[in-house]
Formats: sequence, structure tokens, C-alpha cells
Amino acid sequence: MQNNSMGVFLLFIVVLLLSPLAEASETAKDNYRTYCMQCHGMQGTGMGLNIRDMSVQPRDHTDAKAMGGRTDDEIFKVIKEGGFAISKSVLMPPWGDVFTDDEINDLVKYLRDLCKCKFGG
Amino acid sequence: MKRLLFLVALIGFVTPAPVGAGENGSKILQNRCAKCHDLTGPAPQTIRKLWERDAPDLFYAGNKFRREWLVEWLQKPVRVRPAGVNYLRTINSAPVRDAEEKDKNYDVLYGAVLRPLKHLSLKPAEAEATADALMDLKAHSDLVAGMQLDRNKKVDLDRGEVLFDKVYGCLSCHQIEPGFGGYTGSELYTAGRRLQPAFMLSYIKRPKNWDPKIWMPNGNVKPDDLQKIVNYLILLSKEDFNAAN
Ligand code: HEC
Ligand code: HEC
Ligand code: HEC
Repeated sequence: MQNNSMGVFLLFIVVLLLSPLAEASETAKDNYRTYCMQCHGMQGTGMGLNIRDMSVQPRDHTDAKAMGGRTDDEIFKVIKEGGFAISKSVLMPPWGDVFTDDEINDLVKYLRDLCKCKFGG
Repeated sequence: MKRLLFLVALIGFVTPAPVGAGENGSKILQNRCAKCHDLTGPAPQTIRKLWERDAPDLFYAGNKFRREWLVEWLQKPVRVRPAGVNYLRTINSAPVRDAEEKDKNYDVLYGAVLRPLKHLSLKPAEAEATADALMDLKAHSDLVAGMQLDRNKKVDLDRGEVLFDKVYGCLSCHQIEPGFGGYTGSELYTAGRRLQPAFMLSYIKRPKNWDPKIWMPNGNVKPDDLQKIVNYLILLSKEDFNAAN
């Protein structure tokens, strides 16, 4: 008994010590608000604060037709490497240095919720 | 004559005894600035912490600012960030007035951020002393070490703007003249006067190194273009925008 609770206690300490080492993952919602909303807008419709002087306008993420025309892989790629990577405008920046791949996958799912769509419809 | 003597005595009495400029400046920082600005670091490590930040971090001010600009700005502060320190606090969704856009809303600034910046201002001697104290805050000398501006990588304003807008899309977030460009980054038409070239090189190369959660992406700027963009920003800051208006 004594030994057992000591073991649990030690395990607890080890977990405590290790946890700050793992890179903290942010939620897709917080990431979208902080990084994407400035161009794609509070409602995700592409009407963000920055758009007035932009020569190419941000995508409306609620547009099921346009977003349904992209595979999850393409959306992953455009977030990670920027518009340039899928032959779209460089005004869509690359975010690969900001997010982990897991966070980008979460963002892809988040965008699928926003457009209420899948690839092909 | 008596009055004059009295006045001289009074001035002598009111003016505090001269102290070491550095000490004086750091007292001002502690007493009047620390309640808003982080003077010790580190920068916010999570989004939630970032959202709590009320004022720009100053703990690496000595690696970032040009002293002359600080002395001037501290006496006459003007807005640097057109959407404030955190744009999420200053935007609102408003209906589109244009009849052709169906039922869309667009994001606009609202509230105090639309009015001139309210920031405490310092007297000339205080500004000098505080600028000295700020220039001593060098927590990120590691990040500017080896960052050297190559003045031979020159561009004119037109070619600089092409890089800044068409090639790297920086204009989406930064203004290059008052009212032209984006809102969520700091204005950059005074960047060349405000910031040290080594800071600009390092920040553009990897914003995350300075501010882990900031909403500026790493644009993967090529080394040559990085030099050209910073030379462009320095050239741009020599324009007299007040005269143009
Ligand atoms: C600086 C402004 C800006 C920011 C910030 C931004 N985008 Fe974009 N985004 C654009 C523009 C402009 C386009 C349209 C590109 C085009 O049509 O050529 C776009 C297009 C897209 C597309 C559609 C690509 C396609 O054609 O199918 C996706 C998906 C996307 N952005 C996701 C994001 C996500 C996720 C974020 C946040 C991590 C984000 N964007 C942040 C400007 C921005
Ligand atoms: C009430 C909160 C508050 C106090 C107190 C305050 N500041 Fe600020 N300060 C701000 C805000 C907010 C900004 C951002 C202004 C902008 O970007 O337009 C700012 C901007 C600055 C900047 C420009 C920083 C940059 O990165 O562009 C400097 C330098 C500065 N303050 C120095 C000081 C000094 C020195 C003091 C004390 C004498 C002080 N501040 C007191 C809120 C404060
Ligand atoms: C999606 C928006 C966005 C884009 C795109 C962007 N920036 Fe930024 N930039 C920011 C933000 C936000 C900051 C930090 C402002 C602050 O400290 O509060 C910043 C800071 C800077 C600074 C430091 C300014 C200061 O006052 O401290 C420079 C220089 C800069 N950016 C240059 C660039 C260049 C060059 C590009 C293109 C390669 C670029 N930015 C693209 C948002 C952006």
C-alpha cells in the first residue's frame, strides 16, 4: 500500500516534469480567430479587416461550391505552403512555420465545418 | 530682483537633484510603464496569453528601436498599430452597404482605435533618460547577432513595392503610406526610422523567434529579397508623408 501510493506519486511527478516539453497544441477555433480572421473575416466569408487594398480577395470559407472543389490534401497544402503551392495567389500566406501538422489537420476539419461540405460536394 | 531670486530658488527646489541618467530612466520605466508593458519577458507562449497582452513587449527594446525615434516618440506618441495591439478587440462585423453584395457583412474597426492614440508623453529630459534605459533592455541580442544589412542590395521605391506587395504579400497587413495597406500589422512607412535594420532582418526572417504566437506568418523570404525589402523600408521612411497629404 505504502509502496503503491509512492509509485503513483512518482508517476505524477514524472508526468508533471514531462508535460511542458510537449509542444502545446492550440484549438482550431483559436488558431482560426488569431491567424485567419484578419483576412477571411469574423464569419469566414472572406470579408476580413485587411481586404480593402488586396488585389486578390480571400476565399469565402462558407462557399460550399468552391471549398467542395478542393480535396483535404489540397487544403492542407495551401495552409501549410501558401496560395503559391496550389497555383493560387501569394496573398494567401504559408503557415507551415506557425502550426504543427496536427494543428493544420484540425484546421482542415474546421474549414469543412464552416463550408458544411466535403470534396466533391 | 527679489522676485527673481525667489523664482530661481523655487526652480532649484522643484527640480529634482540630478541622478545618473540610467537610474532615472529605469525608475520611470518601473513606475509608469511596467503596468502595461512587459519589461522582463518572455513573450506570450500561448494564444490565450497573447490575447491578454495590452501593450507591446519592451523587454528587447534595445535590440529593436532606434534611440532617436524613441526620444521623439516618447514626447509625442502617435499610433503605430492601426488596429491596436490586438485586432480581435477592435473589429466588428458590419453589413455591406453596396447593394450588389447580397447579404454579406464585412469587418471594420470600431471604437477608440479610430481616434488618435492616447499614450502618456514624457518631457524632453525624461524621454532621453527613458530611451537610455530602454536601450539597455537587450534580451534578444542572440537574434540580431550576425544580422547585417547589405546596403548594396538596393531597390527603388517601385521595385521595393513590387516585392512587398506582389511577391510576398506583406501589404495585406502593413501600410506603406497612411491609409494604404492592411491593418493588423504595424504601419511600416516609419519603420526605417523606428527600427534597427538588424531587427527588421531578423523579425521578417522568422517572426516567431521574437513573438511565438504573433499573427504574422513566416513568408520564407529569400536572403537577397530580405536585404532588398529592408533597404526599401529604410528608403520609404525618408518620404515625407505629411507633405504629400
Ligand atoms: C493575408 C491575408 C490572408 C490570411 C491571413 C489568410 N488567408 Fe487564406 N486566402 C487569402 C487569399 C487572398 C486567398 C485567395 C487566393 C486566390 O484565390 O488565389 C486565400 C485562400 C484560402 C483558401 C482557399 C484556397 C483555394 O483556392 O481553394 C484556404 C483554404 C485558405 N485561404 C485558408 C486559410 C487559413 C486556414 C488561414 C489561417 C491559418 C488563412 N487562409 C489566412 C488570404 C489570406
Ligand atoms: C496604459 C497602458 C500604457 C502605459 C502606462 C504605457 N504604455 Fe507604452 N504603449 C501602450 C500601447 C497600447 C502601445 C501601442 C501603441 C500603438 O501601437 O499604436 C504603446 C506603445 C509604446 C511604444 C512603441 C512600441 C512599439 O513596439 O511600437 C513605446 C516605445 C512605449 N509604448 C513606451 C512606453 C513608456 C516608456 C512608458 C512609460 C513612460 C509607457 N509606454 C507607458 C500602452 C501603454
Ligand atoms: C498576416 C499579416 C502579416 C503579413 C502577411 C506580414 N506581416 Fe509583418 N507583422 C504583422 C504583425 C501582426 C506584426 C507584429 C506587430 C506587433 O509587434 O504588434 C508584424 C511585424 C512586422 C515587422 C516589425 C514591425 C514593428 O513595428 O515591430 C516588420 C518589419 C514586418 N512585419 C515586415 C513584414 C514583411 C516584410 C512582410 C512580408 C514578407 C510581412 N511583414 C508580412 C503582420 C503581418
